[in-house]
Amino acid sequence: MLSTKGHVIERLLQGAFICRTTDEDGWRFLMVPGNREEVDSYLGQLNRQVATVGTGADGEVFFCGYRQFDDDERKVIGQQFRDICQALTPVAEWLVLVQEAAAQDAPLTEGAPLRLNELQTVIEDTPALHEQLARISHYRLFGSTSPTVDTQVKQVFKRLCELGYLIRPNPDKQIYLATGKLDYLYEVIRFIDEAEGLGLEAQAELASQGQLL
Amino acid sequence: MDAYLAGSIADDALEPGVQERLVKDGILYRPEPGADLHLRRVVRALLEEALRDERNRQIDANTGSALASFKTLAAHYKEARHQGDHAAADVYLAELREHVYAFGETLQHSIRVLWSRINNEFGYVGTLNAKIRENELAQSQVSELLSGLELVSFEALAETAGDLRELRRLLVTNLQRTLSSCTQELSIVQGRLLELLGRFREIRGRTRLLKGWLLHMAQHPDYRVGPHAAGRMVPQLFNQAAPVLAPASLDIHDPTLESELLALLAQVRAQQAQDRPTQLLGDAPDLTLHEPETFEVHLSPIRAAVDAYFCEVIDSAQAISALDYHRQETLRWDAESWLYQVIGGYDGLPEAQKRHFELDMIGEKHPLFSGNFIIRDLRLWLA
Repeated sequence: MLSTKGHVIERLLQGAFICRTTDEDGWRFLMVPGNREEVDSYLGQLNRQVATVGTGADGEVFFCGYRQFDDDERKVIGQQFRDICQALTPVAEWLVLVQEAAAQDAPLTEGAPLRLNELQTVIEDTPALHEQLARISHYRLFGSTSPTVDTQVKQVFKRLCELGYLIRPNPDKQIYLATGKLDYLYEVIRFIDEAEGLGLEAQAELASQGQLL
Repeated sequence: MDAYLAGSIADDALEPGVQERLVKDGILYRPEPGADLHLRRVVRALLEEALRDERNRQIDANTGSALASFKTLAAHYKEARHQGDHAAADVYLAELREHVYAFGETLQHSIRVLWSRINNEFGYVGTLNAKIRENELAQSQVSELLSGLELVSFEALAETAGDLRELRRLLVTNLQRTLSSCTQELSIVQGRLLELLGRFREIRGRTRLLKGWLLHMAQHPDYRVGPHAAGRMVPQLFNQAAPVLAPASLDIHDPTLESELLALLAQVRAQQAQDRPTQLLGDAPDLTLHEPETFEVHLSPIRAAVDAYFCEVIDSAQAISALDYHRQETLRWDAESWLYQVIGGYDGLPEAQKRHFELDMIGEKHPLFSGNFIIRDLRLWLA
């Protein structure tokens, strides 16, 4: 049998994000600094390193990054950056939809459970959410062409699972868990916000105050 | 109970007699003229405690008055002892003890209340902003408690206690123990509160980030994200390597994997069996029975030679050594296989014919290993 270290290296080289939800053993292994260094030095031979996102004891997400850059690596990274930017708006809209449907303060974060049936019921009962879902599901990222809520929701969830934002621990049940990749997405938005000085949080606060007035 | 749940009770809800008695006994009171009746604070606290109500966020941080009462009682006690009034001294001591214990209990209770609020993450208020406010309240209470504890000066207490053993034990040893454990716990509480506040703020930040992003996209439809990944220094966030690992092939020469491989093989076979189209009975070719072709069994030459050897023995009616016959006929097989074949030929004879022959094995026992017999030659003769 493969050791945890081998398993972690394999997952990282496959381009997976390791967080507490997707792979608890591997995540625990990487949380120990000594182990992380070992994996790091192994990946160094392949011009790769262990990269992390997130802060706090529970929030770390690990993935595999390049150590040095050449033209090929730049090309790959540029492509990935474009991909993630394309995913930003659809996924962000979906997150807001989920948050509104569940009437929660907090957006979905790693490890949060999401029941497809409950979400679907709420959306079906609320015409505004229904329209929102229709718009979200027609993004190229999700690629649904169906007019019914049922298939739209299922298509969106299926795509999100494929993209690694959600996992479905039990294939018999429609219960999904949010993964650390969502946290990665938040970090990307935050990074863009800070780098370009968009002041997104201030905008949102102003808007909510405007609604109150 | 209705008053507890609703906060107050209307004037006409109770019978006048009952109401009057409750007010008189100090259970209900009227905060201002014309207002509804409310429960007294003490009764309320009792109920909150008994029901473990989460809304209970009152914390008594008044250390100064407690200390002052300690000092007063200690002074009473000392005076009574000085005057030799032991009965009065005992009463004062009991009272003081009660006060000290109550002080420790109040502290511990406050901490317990704080913990219970932390543990359900301020679940009794709905919105995140309210949680942040609750958290700030709790933090201010913790710092008040801590600054109250700083007031306790053991030097002054020791001075108050003087050289009286009972007083020292009560005011110094006991209080010190209580205080040190409480201070320790309070610092943990403070840490947890800060941590929680950080998390609440982060969650709120995320919500705002998401909404702000969408708002921004709605207001600037032609906005494109800048080329952050194209610069000289790639931020770590976007430094994501391409997947490089392809599935490996299996090594069939590794004996440690044998059981797994066999299991896999079994699956493969099972799949093949399923894939094979089942032949319908009607499609099967006609089955006809016909006479089997006659065929001849060719005896192998060595067996023919063995038969010849047997015949030679019968003809000569003498014991003939197998190896001698081998040399005499210059047979082309090597001696060992010839001997084997002779033994096999003898054992293969039908029982009726076997009776007429005797086979002697000529050889010796193995010098080292018992039970092994090395055959050098065979001698066949007629019985």
